[in-house]
Amino acid sequence: MSTVEFRSVTFSYPGAAAGSPSALSGVDLNVAEGEVLLVVGDSGSGKSSLLRCVNGLAPHSTGGTFGGEVIVGGRSTRDHLPRDLADIVGFVHQDPEAQFVVDRVEHDVAFALENLGLDEASMRRRVEEVLDALGIAHLRDRSPATLSGGERQRCAIAGALALAPSVLVLDEPTSQLDPQGADDVLAALSRLNADLGTTVLLAEHRLERAAPIADRAIVMSRGEITDGPDATAAVIGRYPGAPSVTRLGRALGWSELPLTVRDARATATRLGVDLKAPADHRPARGETLRSAKDLRVDISRRRVLHGVSMEIAAGDVIALLGRNGSGKTTLLRALSNLISPTSGEIVGNSSIAYVPQDPGTLLFAPTVRDELAETLRLLGKPRDEGAIDCWLESLGLREVEHRHPRGLSGGERQRVAIAAVAIGGAEVLLLDEPTRGMDAASRAALELCVRSHAERGGAVVLATHDVELAARCATRVTVLGDGEIVAEGDARHVLSGSLFAPQVLRVLPPFLTVEEVEMVIAE
Amino acid sequence: MSEAQEIKQAHAMRSSWHAVAWLGWALAAAMSVQLAPSPVYIAIIVSICALAVETHAVDGPFKRAFPALLALGVIFSLIRVVLAALTTHTGERILFSIPEATLPQLLGGFTLGGTIETGVILDALVAGFTIIGVMAVFGALNAVISHYELVQSAPRAFHEAGIAITVALAFVPSTIESVHAVREADRARTGGRVVRRARSLRLVVPVLERGLERAVSLAESMDSRGFSHGEPARGERIAGWLGLAGLLALAASFVALIGRSTNSAAVFSLCGGALIIAAVAVASRSTARARYRRRRITKADALMVALAWIAPAALGVLTIYGNDTLTWSASPLAWPQVGLLPVIALIPLLAPMVRRPWESVIDSHSNELVTP
Repeated sequence: MSTVEFRSVTFSYPGAAAGSPSALSGVDLNVAEGEVLLVVGDSGSGKSSLLRCVNGLAPHSTGGTFGGEVIVGGRSTRDHLPRDLADIVGFVHQDPEAQFVVDRVEHDVAFALENLGLDEASMRRRVEEVLDALGIAHLRDRSPATLSGGERQRCAIAGALALAPSVLVLDEPTSQLDPQGADDVLAALSRLNADLGTTVLLAEHRLERAAPIADRAIVMSRGEITDGPDATAAVIGRYPGAPSVTRLGRALGWSELPLTVRDARATATRLGVDLKAPADHRPARGETLRSAKDLRVDISRRRVLHGVSMEIAAGDVIALLGRNGSGKTTLLRALSNLISPTSGEIVGNSSIAYVPQDPGTLLFAPTVRDELAETLRLLGKPRDEGAIDCWLESLGLREVEHRHPRGLSGGERQRVAIAAVAIGGAEVLLLDEPTRGMDAASRAALELCVRSHAERGGAVVLATHDVELAARCATRVTVLGDGEIVAEGDARHVLSGSLFAPQVLRVLPPFLTVEEVEMVIAE
Repeated sequence: MSEAQEIKQAHAMRSSWHAVAWLGWALAAAMSVQLAPSPVYIAIIVSICALAVETHAVDGPFKRAFPALLALGVIFSLIRVVLAALTTHTGERILFSIPEATLPQLLGGFTLGGTIETGVILDALVAGFTIIGVMAVFGALNAVISHYELVQSAPRAFHEAGIAITVALAFVPSTIESVHAVREADRARTGGRVVRRARSLRLVVPVLERGLERAVSLAESMDSRGFSHGEPARGERIAGWLGLAGLLALAASFVALIGRSTNSAAVFSLCGGALIIAAVAVASRSTARARYRRRRITKADALMVALAWIAPAALGVLTIYGNDTLTWSASPLAWPQVGLLPVIALIPLLAPMVRRPWESVIDSHSNELVTP
């Protein structure tokens, strides 16, 4: 029996230009009771629109034209508003900050219950149960503002679950979280599904973690379901943006494609993989562009960096790894002179530019093209259309150059921010968490741009949680822990044997990436 | 970390007194400011407020807002002093003279400038202390209460409006955060150099757009969680009409007041007040909405308020018996005097400080567990 049913659903946002593809066109989908359905696809493929149709946010809250019908638990979203479906569908957003109504976790969870007018005794019981189901009972008296991203997102899920909906819809719930937080959230989801039988519809970019918990998956592109619904392993096996282990299986020609490192290891042992070691070519480091010596930084009387020294040389792509709060962002800000260190010094007069974590803080021009031109104007340089074209090209932004930067997807926005900063001509680029919320296509464009900037004699420092990104494009890796450097050196050397190891390295050491494996096979 | 510290951290959000009790305390303190406006007593009250913030503030933006509000109070009083000096002229104790200008009749027709007098300045300063005192009380109240707790204690009819207000208040800190991030991003773009030209546009647009995005996703979240679910009940519709009639009656009384017809103004305002009270009562009765774990006002809360109100009561008695240290006047000029009795009378304002900020959290929990 299906709880959610899409019958040839067509939807387009208000103000969409005539002739442009609609957000959803002719979608037919049945979601069975108690299953976990994974929705994958690049940004702008219609994932969010599909999920917003489930509880009627599209079209009731977004506006726009809607055709076909969505039936949830026997009710049609045509004549039920989102608030009238609150007892069947829970909805969770990607931004964990913007979902709290009350500044205390426990009362925020009870918000939906109060709205639907439950009596006090049942409210009390529901809240206790939901707090336990998500393992957040110890956070009940806290303010969401004081929680970490993962904790916050679990509290938001609790708020959506309070009314015991049979369907839970989550739109990229982990895209703004660090790996630890993402793991916690997905583990909680899979437990909910197993224990309570909640049907889960989940859109995600980070398939490494999400794919193993899903029963079935669909791939969306340009508003249509292009693959599935089918078993997750089959769909993800065919999907270009699959996790590294799956692509590794594909490269090695395995018939059964793995979704997890564990499966891949088992298959590798069973079938035996015999490949010669990859060529270990280390690009020569050029002259030092900027270096930090014994840097100490205090922020509001708390020491954040304890004597960090590092060297950035021409041709370097340095990945800065470390958990949240280990001082990555502070180090970048100190390197770019946004904060002054308490002691220690920064040497080198090469030009430097920093792209902050949230691209939304930067963008204000009416079009992507103007956004790039604006930086040149601020630096007192003439508007150079050639340079603008070149940067738009290298970050794959040609298609959207006349769009409003704010209207783009998260990954596209991040790339616009990078282009807008990089066009200033800085030799050293500092990127803070650049792949947050990025789809596979954006990530590929970013990696290419980073590598070519380094090859031209520049240097890039990436503060990131994304080890796969580090494995694919970093020449050096620095690991920060509690404000100190705990490991530093050549990328392969630091990544191998650490808990931070990328998926391929864990299955087939000493290979770091699928590309390396493919190269050796091709030889 | 010791266990006590852990408990303190985990419960940092709970104030030890009910928000309504804090409101009662703040009214007592504000009343004391009015009754004892001499600078010495005001200084004592401001210190008590600062102590309350220091020991009982809920961690967050409103705690940081206390010094800002105090500074605002000082600025207001200084502006008042300048305006008074420029516009009030008695002709006595002239400090110096500046050129004067009389405004046209349309703008009030008073004289700006002319003689600047010591007496006027000192009188304005004296009155200024009251402003600072009231601002301190207001700032302390905001820092120590949970605004949501206040919403929960308000009559049921105000529930949804109250939620809207707490949500709006929550946007203040996130906007401040946005401003910081956007300023830094702007500097980062040019490698740390600040370009002043058209800077405000570059700063304002991202802050506004971020706020808007946040508002949209919050609205979606509230909608998905059944906010304002269901049709308005009959009682709520009746209450709506009663409230509208009440507001119209108040407007009519205002018009009557302008027309200097005092009697009809009084009748209209009485009717208006009665209609609004009726609207609140009807709406509260018809909304069958229960609230989750509403914090109850305990005997201790009531006792604390009663204690605090001893201060204004005692000051009132002293005023009646003519204690002349309570007020300070600039003519004839003398140092403000301090009396022992008024200082003793202010001590009850320390009532909330008898409890540590977090001790009560544990016993209010157990309280609630036993009350059905």
